[in-house]
Amino acid sequence: MPDAEVAHADAPDIPAVPEDVPLPATASATAREESSAVFWALVVGGLVFVVAGWLLPWFVEQTANGIGFSPQDVVSSAPTGIGTVLVYVIGAAMVVLLAGVAYDAYCTLTRRGVPFRYSRTRAAVALVGAVGTVVVCVLVVSREEPLFGSLSPLATGSPDNAVWMTLTGFTVLTFVYGLRDWVSAHGQVAFAGIVFLIGALFPLIFGQSQSFIVWGASAAAIYTLLALGLNVVVGFAGLLDLGYAAFFAIGAYTCGSLSSSVHGLHFPFWIVLFIGLAVAALFGAALGAPTLRLRGDYLAIVTLGFGEIIPDAANNNLFGATGGPEGITGIDHPSIFGFNFGIDARPYFWALLVIIAVVILLLRNIQRSRLGRAWAAIREDEIAAAATGVNPVSTKLLAFAIGASVSGFAGAFFGAELGSVTPDSFQFAVSVTVLSTVVLGGIGNNTGVVAGGILVSFIIFWMLAHLQEWLGTFGNKFGLPTLGTIDYSRWVYIVYGAILVGIMLLRPAGLLPSRARKVELQSGTESESLAAVQGRA
Amino acid sequence: MTVSEPLTSGGPKTATGPPILELVGVTKRFGGLLAVNDVTFSVQKGAIISMIGPNGAGKTTAFNMVTGIYTPSGGDVRFNGQSIVGLPPHRIAKLGITRTFQNIRLFAYVTAVDNVMVGEHCKMRQNVFQSMFTTPGARREERAVENRAMDMLRGLGLERYADTYARNLPYGLQRRLEIARALASGPELLLLDEPAAGLNPQEKVELMGVIAQLREKGLTIFLIEHDMRVVMGISDRIVVLDHGEVIAEGLPVEVRNNARVIEAYLGTGAAGQSEPAPPAST
Repeated sequence: MPDAEVAHADAPDIPAVPEDVPLPATASATAREESSAVFWALVVGGLVFVVAGWLLPWFVEQTANGIGFSPQDVVSSAPTGIGTVLVYVIGAAMVVLLAGVAYDAYCTLTRRGVPFRYSRTRAAVALVGAVGTVVVCVLVVSREEPLFGSLSPLATGSPDNAVWMTLTGFTVLTFVYGLRDWVSAHGQVAFAGIVFLIGALFPLIFGQSQSFIVWGASAAAIYTLLALGLNVVVGFAGLLDLGYAAFFAIGAYTCGSLSSSVHGLHFPFWIVLFIGLAVAALFGAALGAPTLRLRGDYLAIVTLGFGEIIPDAANNNLFGATGGPEGITGIDHPSIFGFNFGIDARPYFWALLVIIAVVILLLRNIQRSRLGRAWAAIREDEIAAAATGVNPVSTKLLAFAIGASVSGFAGAFFGAELGSVTPDSFQFAVSVTVLSTVVLGGIGNNTGVVAGGILVSFIIFWMLAHLQEWLGTFGNKFGLPTLGTIDYSRWVYIVYGAILVGIMLLRPAGLLPSRARKVELQSGTESESLAAVQGRA
Repeated sequence: MTVSEPLTSGGPKTATGPPILELVGVTKRFGGLLAVNDVTFSVQKGAIISMIGPNGAGKTTAFNMVTGIYTPSGGDVRFNGQSIVGLPPHRIAKLGITRTFQNIRLFAYVTAVDNVMVGEHCKMRQNVFQSMFTTPGARREERAVENRAMDMLRGLGLERYADTYARNLPYGLQRRLEIARALASGPELLLLDEPAAGLNPQEKVELMGVIAQLREKGLTIFLIEHDMRVVMGISDRIVVLDHGEVIAEGLPVEVRNNARVIEAYLGTGAAGQSEPAPPAST
């Protein structure tokens, strides 16, 4: 630090360790590795978009208002128009990118060869693909159909999900490959930028698929927000909380009660939102108070109890305020500047996106400040923290309160979006899902938690729900109609479990682990407290 | 007072200031076990006081009662004349008593500089909202605290390791970092629990240098140590504990020749020897 004139009164003066002593791994070195993990995550994400966009029509039934046209449609029809050539170019670019990524992965895994040797070439290929897709989009929009020869009659109007997805994937790949060095150095910024950009465009990219936008607003965004809140308690402060859904419920019920016809109260949503936040935070502190002396397994059991009490109390119509099993219905939809959100999922999604961004920024600020360090200290060694001057009581209560307040936000939006709140929505499974999101994404790292939130909510609320439909359509197109006759609903949790196990085997510290956690796994031994988080203390 | 041997010389060698820490009849019971029994002594301001005694004598228990980790079963602990019995550890740290631990208890997966910055926690003024919105005041405070922490690391020769996780540091440097963390809150009284344990001779010499420098800067130091070269080399006064009781207190030379001390360390037969060797370090 340059400001040496602020000499500390008590600092003694002894010789520094000689320069030739090798340094152990530093936090910034770990940060570089973390950024490179983010680079890979973005590459994989981009490829998933490219390939999924290409393959979408093979899995999803073509309907007039659903999936209509994609480059793959043109390829599978007779190559007649000039536009078709363009589509072949896009396909070739895709294959080259896939091959490149496969080669890089091979180099990384076997530690042979030089990955990214042709990163400029690959960026150029990605650029060609992206430009090609844009041109195809423009051609479809302007109905220059002769360019494609005979096209499906459905391919009219705006280009659809499949094309936009491919385009998004190519754009991400161009950015990530072209600016590889920058992305590797600024992983979190790049990740946040791309995720929030795609997030902002998400309702447009998937403009034809209303249900997918509903998924984004009511599953992905809500679960990401919940996971961010739980990460404060579990990741930052190291307190295992198995009853997080309780705070979600408290936020949802508070906001629902204050802006519905049930009690005749119709406060504006944006005020109710903050009331919900405050009430959830209060309950967070109230739960925290009796658990202050508990750690690990014991804390988990008490929070589990709290998580069971709240939905049960709501179910039993406590004080006649919660409406029993039917819950609270007719919750007002929010409005802003005279624009009512109504039942359209898009405004909710955008509003949640803004809230998630703000929450991430505020949590980052806290994590880097006095309180964040105190959380880390309590997590690592409570007695040493107390003897160093950290008040364990207020530090833990603040972790519970801040974690709970984030879920208050989520609850408010959840109720307003669905128009009703029922006790079923806050069962134990919700707490477990949020916890597994945090663990799978990377305990203590908000970037990882966001990645986990998107992935887990996609798997549970979209992929598993559509497995039947996807495989049925796929089977029909390729002459395997039996694929569609299997009852996949029996398999969904097996598939989900297998995916969870697979990810945890491949990346034991989570998708994008926090630095501390990464060091911990590398050093082979574990601190008590993090072992406690895993329930093994 | 359970001091058996009357002191021959008149008081401590250097520091003759008022007592900064007084233990008056302090007792700690764990069920039927009397870990510390009616211990009375005081630590003079500006002195280096060592507490020695065989394993299980109750030294660390006494430390834990001073720092509030245990509450005494009886008696009183006074810091600058004020009773601190019953105060939680963080309040005692804020009053000006910080410590290191026998088995190093750093925040393992936190960088060295952040470990030291935690030490300033109780002096910082920003509240959670100021941190959340990073107000200019909070930012200034963070920067000042970080600068001071870096100065502290520099002073202890740990500057290069600022960005390293505490658990990745070599053992000797972890001991130093723990001292840096304890110093960060600007204490008046520093408790060191076996600071030389596990250090090599070179590191022990450096440690003694650090302790002497800290005393020159006005800090009072109260340490538990087994290494007699360290203890005899730096202490102004020595308190000897055995089976939870103070069996001797005085200048190093007095304690070294005290029959009860020799007996406690070497057994009954050794007490009769005229020129005893200093108790072996463990």
